[in-house]
Amino acid sequence: MTTTNSMTDVHNGLTDELRARNDIIECRGVDKWFGDFQALRGVDLLVKDREVMVVLGPSGSGKSTLIRCINRLEVHQGGDIIVDGVELTNDLRNIDKIRSEVGMVFQQFNLFPHLTVLDNITLAPIWVRKKAKKEAEQKAHELLERVGIPEQANKFPGQLSGGQQQRVAIARSLAMEPRVMLFDEPTSALDPEMISEVLDVMKDLANGGMTMICVTHEMGFAREVADRIVFMEDGRVVEIGTPNQFFTDPKSDRTKLFLSQIL
Amino acid sequence: MGATMDGPIHVPQDGDAEALDYTKAAPPEEPVTPPGRWVKENLFSSTSNTIQTVIFGGLLLVLLRFVLNLVFSEENNWAAVATNVRLLMSYNYPAEQYVRIWFTVGALAAAAGLSMAAWQLHPRISVRRIGVNLLGTGGVLIVMGILTPGATPSSIRIGMLVIGAALLVIGAGLLFGTEDPHLKHVSFTAVLLTISGLIIAFLWLFPLGKYLFIDGEAIQEDGTVSATTKGPWTVTILILLASLFVGRAIGKAIGGTRPLRLAMGVWWVIGPAFLIFLVLRDPEFDWDYVLKVDLPLALAFGLGGGALLYALTKPTFADQARAVGAVLMGFAIFNWVAAFFGWYAMLQKVRFSFLALALFALAAPTFAGEKSARLRFAGMWLGLVAVGHWLITGINTPSTLDITAPPFLGGFVLTVSIAYYVMLASFPLGILLALARTSRMPIFRVLSTIYIEFVRGIPLITVLFFFSIMLNLFLPNGMAVSELAAVFTGYTVFSAAYMAENIRGGLQSVRKGQYEASDALGLTGVQRTGLIVLPQALRVSIPNLVGQAIATFKETSLIAIVGGFDLLRIADKTIPAQTAFIGQKRVGLLFICVVYWAFSYSMSRASRNLEVKLGVGQAR
Ligand SMILES: Nc1ncnc2c1ncn2[C@@H]1O[C@H](COP(=O)(O)OP(=O)(O)OP(=O)(O)O)[C@@H](O)[C@H]1O
Ligand SMILES: [Mg+2]
Repeated sequence: MTTTNSMTDVHNGLTDELRARNDIIECRGVDKWFGDFQALRGVDLLVKDREVMVVLGPSGSGKSTLIRCINRLEVHQGGDIIVDGVELTNDLRNIDKIRSEVGMVFQQFNLFPHLTVLDNITLAPIWVRKKAKKEAEQKAHELLERVGIPEQANKFPGQLSGGQQQRVAIARSLAMEPRVMLFDEPTSALDPEMISEVLDVMKDLANGGMTMICVTHEMGFAREVADRIVFMEDGRVVEIGTPNQFFTDPKSDRTKLFLSQIL
Repeated sequence: MGATMDGPIHVPQDGDAEALDYTKAAPPEEPVTPPGRWVKENLFSSTSNTIQTVIFGGLLLVLLRFVLNLVFSEENNWAAVATNVRLLMSYNYPAEQYVRIWFTVGALAAAAGLSMAAWQLHPRISVRRIGVNLLGTGGVLIVMGILTPGATPSSIRIGMLVIGAALLVIGAGLLFGTEDPHLKHVSFTAVLLTISGLIIAFLWLFPLGKYLFIDGEAIQEDGTVSATTKGPWTVTILILLASLFVGRAIGKAIGGTRPLRLAMGVWWVIGPAFLIFLVLRDPEFDWDYVLKVDLPLALAFGLGGGALLYALTKPTFADQARAVGAVLMGFAIFNWVAAFFGWYAMLQKVRFSFLALALFALAAPTFAGEKSARLRFAGMWLGLVAVGHWLITGINTPSTLDITAPPFLGGFVLTVSIAYYVMLASFPLGILLALARTSRMPIFRVLSTIYIEFVRGIPLITVLFFFSIMLNLFLPNGMAVSELAAVFTGYTVFSAAYMAENIRGGLQSVRKGQYEASDALGLTGVQRTGLIVLPQALRVSIPNLVGQAIATFKETSLIAIVGGFDLLRIADKTIPAQTAFIGQKRVGLLFICVVYWAFSYSMSRASRNLEVKLGVGQAR
């Protein structure tokens, strides 16, 4: 592996309690190129079972690319990514398996506009998990209850507010009963007054023991909910630590600069 | 103006809850402007506007006068059309079997009524719109009455003036006698009932005259339309209305229109084939053969295939399903190759059945699920086999009809049948071509692009000639296709290329996020395409697809050139050759112009309604 990561130790910030848990996601020396441009440079990352990891970093640092590699929306060219013991290769069966284990929530919600909220949520359980329709719908209603919009089941996404749409998107991912949830700036497209309703749902999920990787600019959320924070720049992981270490005692100069700009 | 100009807030109507639209309803209508102000604002608002109004109004009048001259010219003998209505509608279909045609018309009316109920097509129509339309129609009729040339029978002229005046009065009464006519709505049912009543009254009361053809002699009698025409049409209209109410009652009884929509969707795909091949052709089944060969074959494929598919749709059997599907597909393709070289004989429908079974087996993993889903999939197969085998048997069985000058399809029936099935066949083909053209696999992309660009570079008439004359030369012995089938293939090949381009436009409008969300949920490529991408793409393509349907409908007139007896050929060649109506070309051509226009225009209106209902082109 390259020496570029020598300053980062993937085990940084691990408490003894976390250390004892299983690894759900292992990234080892992941490289990713877009043509000539290298977006990830030997990224090492370990995510533990039921851990909440928040990814921070300036725009263009490769945060989205990293989490999109984890469910293979992007294909990495170097290194290994292992999710729940399954290595991500070109084997379609592995990809299908991982995608149904890993949920993803997008900045732009990406709900299916031609389907009702209920159909958005039950689609994958029925077609991918092969669940009975009744069972899937019952589960969908439970999830809508959980994200706080039980009354919107029969509306179309276009009839909901942004915050409601994002909560439906979260429910849609949860319906697949994933082991891991990936969030790519889930609140960045929302009006300020709707951000907290989505963050509340995410906090609730985290408290329920879901393994999560969140790319977000919500520092309050990071501080409060994250087990560990990863700081990226230029396609590298620059620093990993607990929120306390990260915000009060950042090690690298780049982290300090970043913090000084946003706080 | 000011505050009063603000439109009222649109209140969603009752039927909206289950409607397909996922966006906003149509914008509210504006209140009525007093006629004096409307004229001033729209026609004479400024000097240049006044000049334009005078010039283009004058041009319009000249044009109208020209058309009226064409229609009411002394050389015209409209009896040529009136006497030949049956010829234009169904060519030389034997008169003693006419009940089959009426049955077909009645069945289509019933289906139309049920479909209106199933898709809840009951737009509310504002009193304002009705009034404006009546005013417009009345005004045009009066202008026409004044402009008609001298040769016009005075009864027609006076009729135009009287009816026009009556419409003007009613329209004005509705517009200016009602308070807020733009807010008052008349139910679709009421409008439909009124129109139906008017048509029936017209048929039974209006002295249009009877026109008969007996041994080449055209006979005209005074009185209303003959009973053999007005009777069936009245029944047809009543069937349409009754089935609309029955459909609504069913919807209420079962608490939703979904099952009805499904049933009607299936009907519109196979129903017309049923009518064409089983009702209009009246096949003479050899029941002995049917019981000994056809039925056992259908049972074997239906039940055997059903059991196989039920097994393969078990979620854990995906690999087996793919393997079985691949083997079956290989075998099915081999059967066609063998037929090409004449290695061994096999019933055509057996070849088709194996091909279909292979496709179903390949689709099995996608449709896998728990018991009810698997039973539904096997049931779909069973239904397909039942209908498919029945239709193929019907097509291949000799007809009982004794038609002196084939083909058994001609006239308007032929025009509509060809247009309908060309659309139906080129639609899936167009989807496949569009998907191939946007696929990541270079080989598909290249093949599809070559096909589309090649076909789009050739005139339709050339394609038709090629298929009607050349196709049989290239096919091996024993695989000859009929003229009609060849023309149909030619049209489909042609239309699919354009269809593909329209759908490709729709595909490009689907956002990248939709693909990513589908992938992230673990949908397979086929599921992503069928459940997420295509439904959105097709919705966007509706206006273009309807435009193409209209084009196809009109282009069917080209089959006249390759030998089909369609509307154009009858009007252009057959009628002018009748001894009673030598040289009467113009009236026939004018008449079919109206028929083509009426159909095309209603299609484009229907598509506008559909677009509004589906929210095409509106913000999401
Ligand atoms: N499909 C692509 N093709 C080419 N370059 C890309 C592509 N996607 C991302 N990149 C580049 O890769 C780099 C990392 O992008 P990425 O989206 O991961 O950044 P990010 O950290 O998520 O930034 P942001 O905070 O703005 O979302 C950027 O420089 C971007 O321009
Ligand atoms: Mg990003």
